[in-house]
Amino acid sequence: MSTLLEVSGVSKTFDGFRAINNLSFQIGEPELRAVIGPNGAGKTTFMDIVTGKTKPDEGRVIFGEKSVSLLKLSESQIAQAGIGRKFQRPTVFEDQSVADNLMMALKKDRSPWAVLRFRPRQRDHGAVAQLADEIGLVDHLTRRAGDLSHGQKQWLEIGMLLAQDPRLLLVDEPAAGMTPAEREHTTDILVQAAKTRAVVVVEHDMEFVRRLDCKVTVLHEGSVLAEGSLDHVTADEKVIEVYLGR
Amino acid sequence: MTHTSSFDQKYRGVPGALAPRSRPFIQRHPSVMIFIACLALFTLVVTVLSEGFGVGLISTSFVKTLGKTLCLCLVALAMDVVWGYCGILSLGHMAFFGIGGYAIGMWLMYARTELIVVQSLAAAPLPPTPEEISQGIATQIFGVVGASEFPPIWAFAHSLPLQLAAVVLVPGLLALVFGWLAFRARVTGVYLSILTQAMTLALALYLFQNDSGLRGNNGLSGLQNLPGQADTPQSTISIWFFWAAALALGLGYIFCAWMVSGKFGSVIRAIRDDEARVRFLGYSVEAYKLTVFTVTAVIAGIAGALYYPQAGIINPAEIAPIASIYLAVWVAIGGRGRLYGAVIGAAFVSLLSTWFTGGQAPDINLGVYTIQWVNWWTVLLGLSFVVVTLLAPKGIGGLFDLIGKGRKS
Amino acid sequence: MSRLLIILWCLMCAVPAVAQDADAPIQQVMQAHAAEIAKASRRTIQPAIDALTDSGLPAAEIVLERWQAKEMWQDEATGLFVFAEEIDRDTIRIFDVSGPDIGEVSDEGYKQLKPNSGVRGLIAAALVKFQLTNDSPAIRRVALDAIARDPNESHLPALRDVIPAERSANLAAQMTRLERLLTISFGASEEEQIEAIAHFEGDLGVDVRGALNPLVKTTIKAAETVPEDPALVRALRPGTDALSKSDAYALLVADDLAPPLIPADAVRQTLIANIEDGKVAGVQVASLSTVQARNAAFATLVAEGRANPAATEQEIDDRLDAYQFFELYTGAPAVAIAAQSVLSGIETKVALNQTADLALDAISLASIYFLAAIGLAITFGVMGVINMAHGEFIMMGAYTGYVVQLFIPDHTLSILLAIPLAFMVTFAAGVAMERLVIRWLYHRPLETLLATFGVSIALQQLAKNIFGTQARPLTAPGWLDGSLVINDIVAISYIRIAILILALIFLAVFLIVMNRTRLGLEVRAVTQNPRMAASMGINPDRINMLTFGFGSGIAGIAGVAIGLYAKVTSEMGADYIVQSFMTVVVGGVGNIWGTLLGAAMVGTLQKVIEWLNPSNTLAAQTYMILFIILFIQFRPRGIIALKGRAAEA
Repeated sequence: MSTLLEVSGVSKTFDGFRAINNLSFQIGEPELRAVIGPNGAGKTTFMDIVTGKTKPDEGRVIFGEKSVSLLKLSESQIAQAGIGRKFQRPTVFEDQSVADNLMMALKKDRSPWAVLRFRPRQRDHGAVAQLADEIGLVDHLTRRAGDLSHGQKQWLEIGMLLAQDPRLLLVDEPAAGMTPAEREHTTDILVQAAKTRAVVVVEHDMEFVRRLDCKVTVLHEGSVLAEGSLDHVTADEKVIEVYLGR
Repeated sequence: MTHTSSFDQKYRGVPGALAPRSRPFIQRHPSVMIFIACLALFTLVVTVLSEGFGVGLISTSFVKTLGKTLCLCLVALAMDVVWGYCGILSLGHMAFFGIGGYAIGMWLMYARTELIVVQSLAAAPLPPTPEEISQGIATQIFGVVGASEFPPIWAFAHSLPLQLAAVVLVPGLLALVFGWLAFRARVTGVYLSILTQAMTLALALYLFQNDSGLRGNNGLSGLQNLPGQADTPQSTISIWFFWAAALALGLGYIFCAWMVSGKFGSVIRAIRDDEARVRFLGYSVEAYKLTVFTVTAVIAGIAGALYYPQAGIINPAEIAPIASIYLAVWVAIGGRGRLYGAVIGAAFVSLLSTWFTGGQAPDINLGVYTIQWVNWWTVLLGLSFVVVTLLAPKGIGGLFDLIGKGRKS
Repeated sequence: MSRLLIILWCLMCAVPAVAQDADAPIQQVMQAHAAEIAKASRRTIQPAIDALTDSGLPAAEIVLERWQAKEMWQDEATGLFVFAEEIDRDTIRIFDVSGPDIGEVSDEGYKQLKPNSGVRGLIAAALVKFQLTNDSPAIRRVALDAIARDPNESHLPALRDVIPAERSANLAAQMTRLERLLTISFGASEEEQIEAIAHFEGDLGVDVRGALNPLVKTTIKAAETVPEDPALVRALRPGTDALSKSDAYALLVADDLAPPLIPADAVRQTLIANIEDGKVAGVQVASLSTVQARNAAFATLVAEGRANPAATEQEIDDRLDAYQFFELYTGAPAVAIAAQSVLSGIETKVALNQTADLALDAISLASIYFLAAIGLAITFGVMGVINMAHGEFIMMGAYTGYVVQLFIPDHTLSILLAIPLAFMVTFAAGVAMERLVIRWLYHRPLETLLATFGVSIALQQLAKNIFGTQARPLTAPGWLDGSLVINDIVAISYIRIAILILALIFLAVFLIVMNRTRLGLEVRAVTQNPRMAASMGINPDRINMLTFGFGSGIAGIAGVAIGLYAKVTSEMGADYIVQSFMTVVVGGVGNIWGTLLGAAMVGTLQKVIEWLNPSNTLAAQTYMILFIILFIQFRPRGIIALKGRAAEA
């Protein structure tokens, strides 16, 4: 397992508020990692920095074997480099069909000229169908994405991420608002995905994290408070203090 | 008819046995075929009824009105792609339209004036030198703004191919530069609209100056006279331009439909709905917006180049921001996000405008006050625009959905 | 009895009771110059006027005045001069030049003297001397102004005579200044002139520059060598900005130092003159359609001796090289140098003051933009609602002012009434628009933009239908007329000051409403988190409605102010809307200080560009918009950007 993403010494201040404070974080490939922490611990900002949405005040973010600095890349370049992100609120293109959504996400040349000339071939349709199968939406390919249920939208979004075939997958609260059955399915998808790539799951729900059964990083006030197995971190004095109040 | 329904057919049946073999583009998009058929029929009917080539039931000036309307439909198509599909409410596309008109107008005016000057100099004792001819043309064209020298931007006005290239290149380059600056700075939404409006205003104000090199507020005139066709009656020329406009609209429609149908269309609609998400999918949103903005600007330029020889005159007032706003009005009333909606909107509203403001509509006498349509049409248009935005965001095109639903149920 | 009187009166008319006093000293003086006075011309009359003024007679002033007023007549029989008033076509009432009434006579035998305007000017100048010593300060001041307007040499001694006797300190100062000015132009010696010039070091008066500029006039001359001349300003080289080659050559031609150039058209004319049987110098006329062919044919003609050769570029250059060109003061060098040095100092100061004036202009333009934009800053900046009909609300406010003035002729009262009325009208319009249109389109900004466009188009045309297309007056009260003049260069009209004050009041009102009132608190709450605000008992609907009404109402007041300054037309709103949006966007949305800065920047920028290119205000607007487009590249969120996570989202 080699290191895929290395975040070191990153800080970010919003209007005097230190959202991220000298944060360092590493993840290998393949690996499944859960990131937990109370509100305002900097989980979302951390993902924003890795995906290029926010530029940090200082620090380094390095990705892949060639040690590419992500700080110089735009969001789309980072995505093309192999980092996929799922937002907390499901964001799929509601006006378009499930198949269209997946087709757009398929890993292909993304320059306008190439896309303009692109016409789906048999194997592209096959790839879409296969993805739909993985996320359990194969019967809904022709439906408008906006007509799907909340859980189905979450899966579709994960499916779109998988279609991108990223090396690193950042998933923000995938289980929010899901029924228990849907959660189970989501866990399966994530665990399956983590077999071939790095997956970072940000989650509030301890039960869900326990089910992922992976290494856990606890964030607090913008830096890493503890790291290890779930049992290890939940036994940590500092973590208990942060979660149960002082 | 819509995009989604074409996918309906595509994925009908068992998952896995997915796409049918690639069929020709036209077959996959029957709406395009229907449109082209309607356009061809319309062209045929107008030709047969015209004065120039047919029985003369339609006056030459009305043929010109129809030809101009086709050009407006073409620029409305461009507007629909950039706004209805890509979500960029550009208030600058009529400026590109105007630039196209100016580009072709320069050649028309130069070439015709050259013929006149050569004719008048033929009587001189010595045959004229090229310098004398050029001087004569410059005096003829720019005397009205008190100049007698060719400004640098007229350097290519003598050459039809170069000016035709300018029709495409100047709006394209302007859109490219402006779009690059605006999209790079991530100016979006209403900010972008205002910025494009400012660009349009700046261009119009610039052209209003006498030393802009394009004759200030006099604009370019006499464009309806084709050089070397002094003996061809306007009734014939009007039909030529009508055909050209119909051809351009047909090709433009096919091109736009091709552009918005496949994955490219999918991506630009996704950008319209949630551009941040598209970025995280790895698409360079700026590059797509720039492509769409530039390509549609070129289409607008071509439409303008076909429009103004029919109108006969172009001046900076045509470029004023209000023109671009009307363009948005047409597309919204016709129904954005569907190409035929834009065409219907442009044709319907602009023809209605011509009818009302041309004084042909009967005034309504209310006893105490007479409603003169010349004055009240704009009020009605403005208010109907509010009503359409509020109550019928899909515009006239939305009616087709209702018909479609009615048929299905 | 009365009949008797009438008869007597008629007799008196027929035979004047008192004859003209031919021996009166003033009449004597005039008789000495009778011929010049009777046939006065500008060239010859001066001695007669001088004789009158130098006579020291008190009657001289009256004579000059009445002569100037064409009230002096001459008895054709005796040659004596009298004053006369026309009673009717044939009758005049005559007075002796020394005063006494003579009586009414027939105008036959009398000739009216009608001095032409040139003569009247000379008389006026002579009269000035009398006026300067008049008992009334007002008349003395008028006389001073007359001299300042049209000074001549004769004024100088007159002024010097009266200064010591002047009692009013103010007038004495004015006289002294005028005396110095006249000394610059008409001083007897160079020393005197130079001394007077030094007196005006740093004086911004236009009159000073007017007096100094003729002294530093220069001419350009050519000679084999540059002379050692105290009047030498500088040497010039042909082909520079100061002296073009063609001007330099023309100078040589004028001094007979070079042969004249053959005009450009001469080649053509010569060729035409030499056409023989369709040929020129053996070349077919039809082939002479290029410059080269024509030059070749011309060269042939020259070789055959049938035309004069034109000077070549080389010859012209050689000629120019053979001579030196230099600039000389036309006037006395010492005076010119002194004047130049004072002028340079004045010009520096003028430039500084012009900058100050420009700054004032910029501030007043900025305050107009601020007024136009502040309503938008509320609806767009605070609520995030884009209102393209904002300009039309400005227009509605201006028309409200116009209508109020139709009913109330008193301008002060009508403006005071128009301001609250305009607020009410546009407040109502804003609330109506919010209820009917905008409410349904929250969070769909592009559609709000379109719908409000529709309203804008409709309102504009509606105004055209009601008020017509021509501009309507909105007149400012009399006490706003005129300008605050700081010196000859820096001035600002009171109306602009009023607009600036109004803008500051708006700023204060906005800050107080937003930060100190319940409404402001609720507005901020709704802006930041409508759902939370609603749960705390604030009705977001009501707040949105009121905020929009407030913003629109302010637009209405701005309309009254702008109407006073500019014209009231149906399109006035459209003239301001783009600039208003630019102001808000450049300043930074959601921050009133940003709007203020934005207005300052847009206003200053426009004034500076106009100053750089004064002939072309259209170009100024073009360049300003281009600048703003570029500015947004570097600060996409405006000068004062909202910071923090809210802005990044």
